[in-house]
Amino acid sequence: MKQALSALVVHDLKNALALLEADLERLNHYADIPPEGRMAYRRCIELKGRLVGFLTLYKQEHGGLKAHPAEVALADFLEDLIASSQSVEMAGKHGREVVVRFAAERVRIAPETARGGSASLDERLLDLALESALNNAVRYAASRVELWFEQEAGKVTFYVLDDGPGLSHPEDLMHGELHDGAHTGLGIALCRAVAEAHGGGEVSLADAPARGAMFRLAVPAT
Amino acid sequence: MQVDVGASDLAAVIGGRKKTVESEFVRFDQLSALIIDDIGAMRTALRSQLQWMGMEAIRGTSDAREAIRALEEKQYDLILCDYNLNAANSGQHFLEYLRAEKLLSYKTVFVMVTAEAEYAYVANAVEYSPDDYVLKPTQEKKLRLRLERLFERRNFLMSALRAMDEHRYEFAAEECDRLIGLISDERWIMQALRIRAEAQHALADTDGLMQTYERARALRPDTPWVGIGIARAWMLLKDYEGAARLAREIIAVSPTYVAAYELLAEIGFRKKDEDGAFRMIAAASKILPSTKRFRAAAESAYLLGKLDEAKEYSEAAIRLSSGSMTERPGDFLTLAQIQTDMGDHEGAIATLEKQARRYPETGAFGVGKNAVLSQAFLQAGNKAMAEKLLEKSRKLISVNSGSAVLNLMGRAAFKLGDEIAGLKLMTQAVQFSTEDERIRTRRHVVKTMNDAGLRSRIGDVIDAGERRIPALLEEAQKAMRVAQFNVANQKILEALDIHDENIEALLAAAQLHLLWLKQGGMDRVIDARAKAYLAKLDKLVPQNEKVMSFYRFYDTLTGGK
Repeated sequence: MKQALSALVVHDLKNALALLEADLERLNHYADIPPEGRMAYRRCIELKGRLVGFLTLYKQEHGGLKAHPAEVALADFLEDLIASSQSVEMAGKHGREVVVRFAAERVRIAPETARGGSASLDERLLDLALESALNNAVRYAASRVELWFEQEAGKVTFYVLDDGPGLSHPEDLMHGELHDGAHTGLGIALCRAVAEAHGGGEVSLADAPARGAMFRLAVPAT
Repeated sequence: MQVDVGASDLAAVIGGRKKTVESEFVRFDQLSALIIDDIGAMRTALRSQLQWMGMEAIRGTSDAREAIRALEEKQYDLILCDYNLNAANSGQHFLEYLRAEKLLSYKTVFVMVTAEAEYAYVANAVEYSPDDYVLKPTQEKKLRLRLERLFERRNFLMSALRAMDEHRYEFAAEECDRLIGLISDERWIMQALRIRAEAQHALADTDGLMQTYERARALRPDTPWVGIGIARAWMLLKDYEGAARLAREIIAVSPTYVAAYELLAEIGFRKKDEDGAFRMIAAASKILPSTKRFRAAAESAYLLGKLDEAKEYSEAAIRLSSGSMTERPGDFLTLAQIQTDMGDHEGAIATLEKQARRYPETGAFGVGKNAVLSQAFLQAGNKAMAEKLLEKSRKLISVNSGSAVLNLMGRAAFKLGDEIAGLKLMTQAVQFSTEDERIRTRRHVVKTMNDAGLRSRIGDVIDAGERRIPALLEEAQKAMRVAQFNVANQKILEALDIHDENIEALLAAAQLHLLWLKQGGMDRVIDARAKAYLAKLDKLVPQNEKVMSFYRFYDTLTGGK
């Protein structure tokens, strides 16, 4: 009963938040909107991201997070992710010009892959995980963030590479540390939960060969 | 800030799957949309997102009924439908309903909007999945990208989709072939193959179907719609064993794919394995509960004599459909008949007199209601009332009453001891059953006659019922040969009274009227009737050789006017 009630409340909150987001989105179409209006919109989206992130982790802790895979066109998926990402949109707010791009030239598809370029994955969960990785990368990048995927038989790996200071950065959120900003360090935990929901996989964040940090999320997928 | 998505060189990298067709710019300002959401604020939010994309012709509705009315007036390019329509019916049920009733144009892009991740589970379980689904809240940008991709694909397939809408199946299949030759994106090819398969299914082109499915299977080995398509093609070829084997294989890979269970149930009915069929329907209604499935389960349980289960399913169907587009007064007839069989005549009377009192006592429902009430009153010991009610039922009969209620009347007649009337009604039930209903009617007739202790007469009744139309048509042909057109017309009309979409009867009608025109000269009334029959045939059996030759003959008669 208690659980049913909280599920109802959460559903209600999500709906209310959706409406607020829609209102603010509409407001943001006007050229003369004051900066506070833009800020409110961003905060609303961040809040939604956090709520969804928490819910996902909560579900996982209670054993209820399951991937619902459907065919995903990987390149389209990453393109859409970048084009509609809130993190990308805010990339410039730290006073730097950050280019976020889908690095098509880095994509690798192993010849034995059954349907090259498409895989059976839970798009919503991956979106959550990669958005959180992207958020992290954009925050620390000097000027550039690149996303791509590699596909082997039965496995897809996503990469997010930035040209920031790398893991030496003391406030790297992916380490799970608290930050004074909008995020509370659920990044890596969320990504692990998403990988686990897909039936295993790996999540790692390491210094990139040249400079910056490289995030990697590998999930089993047919 | 800059965003560089590198889209142009992208396709080339992805395994050389470059589209050779220039993608068209999607003109949102020329598209119309229908939004279905029970929350007004959500509708407003979605409407405003679409407006910002440039769409102008946008209509919002708050429930499925209103949406159906809107769709009867005009078709929309886009339907954005909330998954949680109301407590009883989901967007998925709505979509299934639209497809089953053929209310949805092939050109319409149907997008499910859902707050629940669980929708993907549903989507994997059903045959009629939407073109895409988006999670709410959806940012406008994301929605726009989705819609652009969907409309790009739709626009590319437009000629084939339009042909499907116009029932020009042969042309649709050809167009799909042509379009497949232009692309290398496998998902687009799959979509085109799916349309081609639907066209070939309508044409009953089993060879072509197999070819299409094999090609799809080579691209995507475990796609359920491909498997179920092959199984259906085998059904067309009457290979029920093969079809059943395949359906079981699909279930082994996708245990929640309801269409496979439903196909097994259909095979069960054909092979007179009611028990096996019932188990499959029960499984399907557990995976994805719907009014339609509860109804089928109630019927099957009833025919098996599992009255408690039948009652449960029947009540579930009434509960689920109450106040929705799937509400049918016939559900109360089923429940009342089950109650009567259980010996609960008071319950049966209450069901029909109280629960179903909002339905007028006319048409098929009126016939059925009085037939079931007659049985209930007889059980209560009031034979005079029972006879009166059956008489009332008989007075309400018309050509549109349908087999189901004739069967109910037959039950009442047998119980009242009128074997002759009962047998006549059962024969009529068989006669009146349309092509689609034939197997179902047969199941009911068998049950009714078994219950009446007339097992030995079942074969006679079914034969007599099914032979009636061919016999009438034969008499019509004889009359035509000796130019007794009026006599022939009488016989054909009698056959069409039994079943107004019987193809053989319609072909005979068209042939008769063409002969009439040829021999009697151009007569306005005959001419109009000839044209009406031809048009009806063209709709029911498009591209039919015989119909085509009739058209050519008509053109030579009228000088092609």
